[in-house]
Amino acid sequence: MLHGCLVFSTLLFGIGLYGLLQRRSLVAMLIAIELMIAAVSVNVVALTTLAGRDATMGQVVALILVGVAAAETAIALSLFVAIHRESTSIDVETLSELKG
Amino acid sequence: MNWAGAVFGVSAAIALLGALGAVGFRSIFHNILSFALAMLGVAGVFLSLGSDFIAVVFVLVYVGAVAIAMVYAAMLSYPLDHPPRPRSRWKVLGAAGFAGVGAGAIWLVLRSAVWISPGGRPEVSAAHIGVRLLRDYVLAFELISVLLVVAMMGAMVVARRSRVGGGR
Repeated sequence: MLHGCLVFSTLLFGIGLYGLLQRRSLVAMLIAIELMIAAVSVNVVALTTLAGRDATMGQVVALILVGVAAAETAIALSLFVAIHRESTSIDVETLSELKG
Repeated sequence: MNWAGAVFGVSAAIALLGALGAVGFRSIFHNILSFALAMLGVAGVFLSLGSDFIAVVFVLVYVGAVAIAMVYAAMLSYPLDHPPRPRSRWKVLGAAGFAGVGAGAIWLVLRSAVWISPGGRPEVSAAHIGVRLLRDYVLAFELISVLLVVAMMGAMVVARRSRVGGGR
């Protein structure tokens, strides 16, 4: 079971990393980041439940991770809406105004 | 029959399928729906680990709130009338290669570590989590509260239209 959880979270993290590198839409990149955070949460809970002494601590850490991810999503989505208002696109390859 | 193992297998398969759809589909709406499916699968994995409370929180926060907020943001900001531009094959291959190398490196580290199983699965209820959260981790709890309030207010300030700049 522990082995399966570690394989699962590694695969989920890899899929998220692939999505983050390959997609160009900011919303899709945010989805990929959320997948990677979920993989980390699964890893923390699995390791503290199946290979540690303090399972409650792992779940508290997972809760805090969910809170941080929710705050990050709120800020990121509002930024996307503001960026779209300025440049009519949220494609990262067209957002090059800061390029030197 | 080992029910936890069966639940874990089915949930992990659902989560990985959803994650593949969340990064693979071209339409942003299909991505968001697949993301919700992936989070349901992750919640199932938490259930199979005996973390009922975290599973419920994941469904509430990710499927209930984050996916809906993403739908709103996509409707407000994604140019749905623009056809998607074709992707360069080398960029896709490079991303896949880098992600594969990264995941492989993580797996090598995880596999080389020695995990000692204490034997027996501890019982963790929501009451245990609440007591720990408000006793040992109360500083983190308060910081998360402040962070959420600041993020909420910041999101409103960033996304609102200013009345000063001529409708912007």
